[in-house]
Amino acid sequence: MNSRFYMPAARSFNFTAGINGLRSQLLIICLLLLYVIAPAQQYDLLIRNGRVIDPKNNIDAKMDVAIKDGKIAKVAAGIPVAQATKVIDASGLIVTPGLIDIHTHVFVGGKPETFADGFLSVSPDDFTLKAGVTTVVDAGTSGWRNFPVFKEHVIDKSKTRVLAFLNIAGNGMSGSPTEQDVTDMDAFMTSLVVKKNPDIIVGVKIGHYEGSDWTPFDRALDAAAKSNTPLFVECHLPQLSLEDQLKKMRPGDIITHSFEKIEERMPVVDEQGKLRPFVIAAQKRGVLFDLGHGGAGFWFSVAIPAMKDGLPPNSFGSDLHRFSMNAGMKDIMNIMSKYLAMGMSLDEVVRTASWNAAKSIRREDLGNLGEGAPADVAVFRIREGKFGYVDAGGNTLPGNRKLENELTIRAGKVAFDLNGITGKHLE
Amino acid sequence: MKLYTISFFVLLICLCPVNSFSQSIDILLKGGHLIDPKNKIDAQMDVAITAGKISQVAANLPSDKAKKVIDISGMYITPGIIDMHAHVFHGVDPGSYIANGFHGLPADGFTFRAGVTTVVDAGSSGWKNFRLFKMQTIDRSKTRVLAFLNIVGSGMYGRLEEQDVSDMNPVMTAHMITHEFPNIIVGIKSAHYWGDFAQVDLAVKAGELAHVPVIVDFGEHHPPNSIEDLFMKHLRPGDIFTHTYANGFEDRETVVDKAGKVKPFIFTAQKRGIVFDVGHGGGAFSWIQAVPAIQQGFWPNTISTDLHTESMNSGMKDMSNVMSKFLAMGMPLSEVILRSTWNPANVINRKELGNLSVGSEADVAVFSLRNGDFGFLDVSGTKLKGKQKLEAELTIRAGKIVWDLNGVAAATYPVKTLP
Repeated sequence: MNSRFYMPAARSFNFTAGINGLRSQLLIICLLLLYVIAPAQQYDLLIRNGRVIDPKNNIDAKMDVAIKDGKIAKVAAGIPVAQATKVIDASGLIVTPGLIDIHTHVFVGGKPETFADGFLSVSPDDFTLKAGVTTVVDAGTSGWRNFPVFKEHVIDKSKTRVLAFLNIAGNGMSGSPTEQDVTDMDAFMTSLVVKKNPDIIVGVKIGHYEGSDWTPFDRALDAAAKSNTPLFVECHLPQLSLEDQLKKMRPGDIITHSFEKIEERMPVVDEQGKLRPFVIAAQKRGVLFDLGHGGAGFWFSVAIPAMKDGLPPNSFGSDLHRFSMNAGMKDIMNIMSKYLAMGMSLDEVVRTASWNAAKSIRREDLGNLGEGAPADVAVFRIREGKFGYVDAGGNTLPGNRKLENELTIRAGKVAFDLNGITGKHLE
Repeated sequence: MKLYTISFFVLLICLCPVNSFSQSIDILLKGGHLIDPKNKIDAQMDVAITAGKISQVAANLPSDKAKKVIDISGMYITPGIIDMHAHVFHGVDPGSYIANGFHGLPADGFTFRAGVTTVVDAGSSGWKNFRLFKMQTIDRSKTRVLAFLNIVGSGMYGRLEEQDVSDMNPVMTAHMITHEFPNIIVGIKSAHYWGDFAQVDLAVKAGELAHVPVIVDFGEHHPPNSIEDLFMKHLRPGDIFTHTYANGFEDRETVVDKAGKVKPFIFTAQKRGIVFDVGHGGGAFSWIQAVPAIQQGFWPNTISTDLHTESMNSGMKDMSNVMSKFLAMGMPLSEVILRSTWNPANVINRKELGNLSVGSEADVAVFSLRNGDFGFLDVSGTKLKGKQKLEAELTIRAGKIVWDLNGVAAATYPVKTLP
């Protein structure tokens, strides 16, 4: 029984009240029913019987998650079904906070050769919701000059929550000449735009600078300091050594493409597969290492020894863009499955994809299922079978488990439902 | 003597390329179950690819001549899937619906991961903005993008613009096909028209001028226009009716009546040669129509997605999910593949596609057929349960690997290095 069915009856009766005695008896019955039923519908949505993993709140247990008005209302065992308008049975499934991908390129647009407002970026909703991701952070595809276009064209139109690192280059990733123009790397203007958009912009990005001059890096650091946000360091800084980059970074700053093996940047492990001492020192100081998978940013031959030596990624940035979407990366569920295959525990995998990512962008309202948090939820299953995971070198690591996203809730609304677990059955 | 020498060299030159072809295979797909409806193959067979083309199809091809051997035992191998109804004219015109608008999607993110190698854009562009579409999307996609050209000059810019009969010019539309882009534009689209049969008739006129089929998204009429009239009086054999299993009683006549029976004239229309396309979309596929239709023998000629932003995360999802829905309704796999490869290739008159004949471009899909408990949503949020689901393992486009879900084509880590 659903109280909503009684509401119209009660309302329509008001027009005839006092005219017909029989109807006024009906009214009393209706009002009584409303009294009994309406308070019972405390929640809009109840996800029952799943294994809830909420690392922030140290929960890993069979529990129910109740949602009301787009927020998490309660997480507990045995929440009565009668208290919810809609009930979803998540038996056998894993229920986690909506996943956060802190490294994406989603400033999609019509320009054929660029990431900024261009064809090389991808639309967030095309890839996120089906993979359990409810928040993405764009990694500096826009700078302070074209951030308004990004906001109007993508951020405001997406169901996915889109946050951003602002590029120190004024026009963001607009291609080679402009990204090398040191005169258009303005720490003050960048910090102003960051501070003007505190709900969206979470930090400053430096990357794709080919010169040997440290000015761009220092200006990005300056902009981050001025706006009191973390610096996000992408690679493609071929003349600036990894050691010096890490030394300049402050605790809480984030370096991405952590496990790449390309000519233009030294890998974090040496030829013997040992973490380099300056990498360990940076980690100890609180520099955060994001995955940044992308098309070329993830190699088993670096990531596996790094993890063994104590450097797992702090977050699973996918570096989603046109060249990674169909390659070894695919989506964040695939990255998470890859780390399961590499031996990371499921709890750690979920923590890395939710709470750790939220903390790194200083958005502790996200990445958890605490009461009052936005109702962004991922529900997935663990498939058993023979699977393979591919790195940037084209090597496959076999695995016997794979995560498959079943259901994504964004701000309390069902945004993706793979097998129709929220659907009515065909009669 | 001289003649002999020349003949000898001519012979040598002629033989050389043939020889090198026959001795080297770029990719050998081994051990899979091949379904190639055009060639009536439904058996375990190996497929060899050389220089971007299918070079051999036979059981137990030897591995020693192949540069790369991919073991696909236990999987199904089919021609690259053709999705005959998609909207991929993605752009950032804030006033537009699907023509250069936010509701269209860049093709490559949705095709290869579902086994699709060819999409046909269903009239997102018209003759006035087709060149922009070509520059912006068609020329930059790895997916083969073909198109139905909208009879409306500005394509699917918005519902209001789509009513403008003065912007429906059969001569200009046909000219775009016959004189400018015969290799890309495969037909004409008529859609979203609120009036009588005027738009369909203009589209058919353009189709006659250009000798191509017309695809009709018939709807949004209050009360609905007669689809029997559409099939019998307005469309020609070979013309296409899309959104076949839509259940919009209010704005489009349905193929199944309220008692759950397929209307008799539907069978007559299909016999007459009207092509019935699925065109799932965000609002055009309901179990209440599809299930009785399939049970009563009214099967779609072509399976397609109607991919756009409103369908990508809803019940539609992607082509392999839509194909799996027909498995769930009891259609045999070979029939599903037929309706996703060779049938659409015929309907759009591109018979070089949708098959794996030797010499054809190497567009190939490899699927796993998963067993388990699956559910499939229609547009009303109703679920049909199924026991099987197609999952695209490997997609090859023009001989290149463009999707490899589990790394079946990759070396296993750790790679053994030579001493």
